[in-house]
Amino acid sequence: MVQEPPQKEVVFLFPLVKCKQILTFYLYICKQTLTLYMSGRRDVFQAIADPTRREIINILSEEPMNLNSLADQFEISRPAISQQIKVLEECGLVVVSKQGRERYCQIQPASLIPAFMWIDQYRKLWEERIDSFEDYLMELKSKKKNGE
Amino acid sequence: MENNIENRTITIKRTFDAPIELVWKAWTEAEHIVKWWGPKGMSTKIVAHEFKIGGKWKYIMRMPDGADFIAEGEYQHIDPPNKLKTNANFLPMTEGVTLEVLLVANENKTEFTFNVIHPTEEYKLQQEKMGFQNGWGSVFDRLAELLTKSEL
Repeated sequence: MVQEPPQKEVVFLFPLVKCKQILTFYLYICKQTLTLYMSGRRDVFQAIADPTRREIINILSEEPMNLNSLADQFEISRPAISQQIKVLEECGLVVVSKQGRERYCQIQPASLIPAFMWIDQYRKLWEERIDSFEDYLMELKSKKKNGE
Repeated sequence: MENNIENRTITIKRTFDAPIELVWKAWTEAEHIVKWWGPKGMSTKIVAHEFKIGGKWKYIMRMPDGADFIAEGEYQHIDPPNKLKTNANFLPMTEGVTLEVLLVANENKTEFTFNVIHPTEEYKLQQEKMGFQNGWGSVFDRLAELLTKSEL
């Protein structure tokens, strides 16, 4: 039986993002980050540094929700949640729209992209650069061998 | 407060199946650096490459939309073919790190150690896993799903 050579493991940034999309995604991240830095807004890292705000993002990422229902899921007071929502709104992570007397909170996933890049990807970015170096090194080595 | 260098360093170790001289050459010469530095499909332009102690280096990767992604630094230690140390900024993301490359020949192979040394442990953690907690990963999966559904 012929054994197939072991295939090199391909690590995707996200399982859902396929090969072709990676570059587009990467470029978008860089652009998004630049825009964020230049705009001088409160930044996304400040937003996610707080555990309550992380939990709010967690909940809102499942479904948009009005402020009261959201506040019900926390021990802390409604005004305190409202305050955290305000910070998230200033960071561009959440959009609040009024529907009658309700305030309806919705997540803006694109604003979290700069955070995607750092969280758990940081080391991977270095690993990928070293992979790229190794690939090139092997190419160089075989060229040299053929040249001799 | 003095903080331990190990706690603020990311280390990557590899064994390359190539002689040490070739590894050194591929890592340090401009004509080779442009071939591997950038992410695949993105071109790297070398603006400065003064390969001496105190010499400056600067690489620019140009995005299709015209924005630049810059890597720059100043060589602090050059000891061919075993050790290279430089400070580095990766703008706009990372600033003030030190990169260290250590090479040890092992017959025809090369033991490679790469260190990214951060100014503080806090900065490293911020860079590495800002806000990362249990369950946080699945939030990103969901959001990534939302993003891939919509047009980037």
